Amino acid sequence: MRFMMLMIPSGYEKAEAGAMPSAEMVAEMTKYNEALTKAGVLLALDGLHPASNGARISFSGGKPTVTDGPFTEAKELIGGYWMIRVKSKAEAVAWASRCPAQDGDVIEVRQVQEMSDFPPEVQKAAGGTRLGPQ
Amino acid sequence: MRFMMIIKADRNTEAGVLPSKELVAATDKFNEEMVKAGVMLAGEGLHPSSKGARITFSGGGKRTVTDGPFTEAKELIAGFWLIQVKSKEEAIEWASRCPDPLGPGETAQIEIRQVFEMSDFPAELQEAAGNEPAMRAKLEQGWPKVPRA
Repeated sequence: MRFMMLMIPSGYEKAEAGAMPSAEMVAEMTKYNEALTKAGVLLALDGLHPASNGARISFSGGKPTVTDGPFTEAKELIGGYWMIRVKSKAEAVAWASRCPAQDGDVIEVRQVQEMSDFPPEVQKAAGGTRLGPQ
Repeated sequence: MRFMMIIKADRNTEAGVLPSKELVAATDKFNEEMVKAGVMLAGEGLHPSSKGARITFSGGGKRTVTDGPFTEAKELIAGFWLIQVKSKEEAIEWASRCPDPLGPGETAQIEIRQVFEMSDFPAELQEAAGNEPAMRAKLEQGWPKVPRA
């Protein structure tokens, strides 16, 4: 089973462009990432810039409206993610709990949809284009 | 530059309502366009938060695990793409071309966020990340630039 671990850092909606973690935090996180790699569960990972240089596109009646960041009224912004392959949700939760996160941070664990999770007619309509780690 | 295009959840995705065949086909066509343009890195859908959990970190190394669903559906995500483009404007263009992710009658939202590259970090942070580039290279399945069947 694949899971995303979504890092929701406390207060990231207020982070300014160019905001950086400390070297200590990076070193600790690197150790964690290496543990995930050694265990053979890590598929991918990335950090996200603060939303100050992001954007949101709202679709209403199919028409897109673009709003530039920051989104200071947002309560939770994603700061990064890991994608892992493990045997169960419990195992994913156990890994997330080992993350050297800061006080107030939240990690959301979400199961990734596999093509085989969908009924046959949906799989057929999707034409079998499969992207990203399998 | 890499960007994440994040599809926000709504009550339909959270209820596990399957997309219509038309939307699936339109999304597949959109995916193919991104692949043809050489911008597609990856794309995934997520099961509803009812199948997920949240771990909250608090003082003294305390972790609290809460099972989903999470009712503040405004900030939940339902899926994402990772794309490689020349600018934020190009990322916005692509996101704007996405078939209305949640179908007619719903207001959908895609959030665009730039992905950190190692070169975005100052030297001392790159040093602290030490093995990370080698680790990334070793990842069993990275994000391929071509789709797998």
